[in-house]
Amino acid sequence: MELIINGVPRATASSPVTPLLNVLREEFNVTGPKPGCEQGGCGACTVLVDGQPRRACLLAIGTIEDAEITTIEGLGTPQALAPIQAAFNDRYAAQCGYCTSGMITAAQALLDRSDGPVTREEVLDALSGHVCRCTGYVKIVDAIIAASTGEFDPPPDDDRLDPSASEPEVQVRGSAA
Amino acid sequence: MKAVGARLPRYDGIGHVTGRTSYVDDVRVPGLLQAKVLRSPHHHASITHLDTSRAEKLRGVRAVITHKDVPRNEVGLLEPQGFPADEPQLARDVVRYRGQPIVAVAAEDVDTAIEALELIDIQYEERPALFDMRLACEPDAPQAHEWGNVYPHFGPYNHRRVRKGDIEWAFERADTIVSGVYRPQAIEHVPLETQAALAIPEPDGRLTIYSCTQAMYYTLSIVATHLQLPMNRIKVIGGTVGGGFGGKVDSASDIVAALLALKSQRPVKWRWTREEEFLASSTRAAWHIELSDAVSSDGWILGRRMTTLHDAGAYARMSPYGLTKHAFHHTGAYTIPNLKFDGFAVFTNRVPTTAMRGFGVTSVSEATEIHMTRVAEVLGLSPWEIRLKNANRIGDTTGNLVAMQDPSTVRVTLAAAERIGLELAPGFRNMTGDRRSGDLLPEHLVAQQAPEGVHVLSRDATANGGGS
Repeated sequence: MELIINGVPRATASSPVTPLLNVLREEFNVTGPKPGCEQGGCGACTVLVDGQPRRACLLAIGTIEDAEITTIEGLGTPQALAPIQAAFNDRYAAQCGYCTSGMITAAQALLDRSDGPVTREEVLDALSGHVCRCTGYVKIVDAIIAASTGEFDPPPDDDRLDPSASEPEVQVRGSAA
Repeated sequence: MKAVGARLPRYDGIGHVTGRTSYVDDVRVPGLLQAKVLRSPHHHASITHLDTSRAEKLRGVRAVITHKDVPRNEVGLLEPQGFPADEPQLARDVVRYRGQPIVAVAAEDVDTAIEALELIDIQYEERPALFDMRLACEPDAPQAHEWGNVYPHFGPYNHRRVRKGDIEWAFERADTIVSGVYRPQAIEHVPLETQAALAIPEPDGRLTIYSCTQAMYYTLSIVATHLQLPMNRIKVIGGTVGGGFGGKVDSASDIVAALLALKSQRPVKWRWTREEEFLASSTRAAWHIELSDAVSSDGWILGRRMTTLHDAGAYARMSPYGLTKHAFHHTGAYTIPNLKFDGFAVFTNRVPTTAMRGFGVTSVSEATEIHMTRVAEVLGLSPWEIRLKNANRIGDTTGNLVAMQDPSTVRVTLAAAERIGLELAPGFRNMTGDRRSGDLLPEHLVAQQAPEGVHVLSRDATANGGGS
């Protein structure tokens, strides 16, 4: 069967009951989604399936054939951050970073379905199934609100972000609000 | 000094927000084997029979290791500090906690490794198990550890002790004695990244280990000691930790992965499941703290008697160190001139305990700060003012006779009061942490002071044992 991962159709040899997380990480080396609990409890493996946040650890691939699967890697790149990624970086919303992929992916779904600024209550609701054991929740919530209003700065120009240094300017992809 | 006070981007921020940061489990190497470990199903048992031959013959299994494969099986995390070793990397003839590793398997995939574990022929004889550190001190309690139920290696003592001043005088002189029992509980760290290690045998005979350790050089020395290899044969790659909080200082996964890699001559990854993490990873210790303060009716703490039990779990690991820190902080941020402290690291059949955010100190701070407020309530005084009155000042000495050079108690307490808009009485509002004088230097606090002009009063702490 075929899975559409970050816009690219990929043929998989895995059984239809294989969890999406295993296929992403072990078959296609898409390692942004993390195995935190593999029981649907922590949110670190969250990906978007047709724009909806889903737990990749509990999602059998046989149920999502032909769906658009978007992981953290599909949101933006180090050279072209999505606004939500730039806001997380600017607001120091990542600590150890292990929950960050899932947090950002779930936040992107919230921003996509909201038109304009989101409220603190909406953010808390969207993140209710996500655990950050560094307990950096306040900054995560602040960053998501900032992403929805555009109140964040993109990262400074830095050659380290681009190995070739041919295009050192870091861009923010898309519009913020 | 451009960085101090500046708002700088995190060096790893872009990697984190784009999912590009590479944690141990994200590293990809060809020919990778997966490890699984047979863990004790019992809290305490003798191993009466162990045969791994059927597991070794299973198709896809590349290495099986037991205690016999560990060049040096028992290594103490505090050996360099003079504390003896007690914990085997893989259990030999006894298991002392549920989840303790006994046999490790490396196979072509996880399912094969799990199947191999099921083919291991092992028999146990259960022993009585002990879970309550207070029961551990009873004479007829089951014995949890080969050394008995109380850690015996604090120099000449079986406990960490502090003695200062004249404790009998303090309790005779006291107007009131305020006592309390405090029991901070065990806490699981629950890092979102479970314990993980990836060990790769290199063609030149060296070993590369991708580790989630919080302490790379420490892990390097512990791995080298277990493997009995010189450190220049081992390269530890790490520093990217998916949450640790103290739970990743014990090198929980590195040694088994390394041994399996050496035996199979293939890269081996061992990543714990969340279930394993809850079952067998170390926790913050539970503590039992009994505290009595001799106080005067005007709010001086004249003396403190304290007995602490620290639940080490089944093996010592870092417990003697955590308990020592606990002992050194048992007066909190305050100066108490007469002290009698006894702290015991107690063995039980719970998982071994380890560091977690303020190792040994959070427990004692919880107890002593709650107690300070209780003393104030009993005396009918302000909990703020009793703290300021007894606060550490320049020239005061701690329980282990370190002279205070720049204690922050007064200024932190005043700043906290200001931030919540609390109006303190005039005598307290303008306090400083300067050397004691006048009303702040009553007779009972004179002898504990370090001589003026001498900034550091350091004394060898051998009376406390441990060769420190």
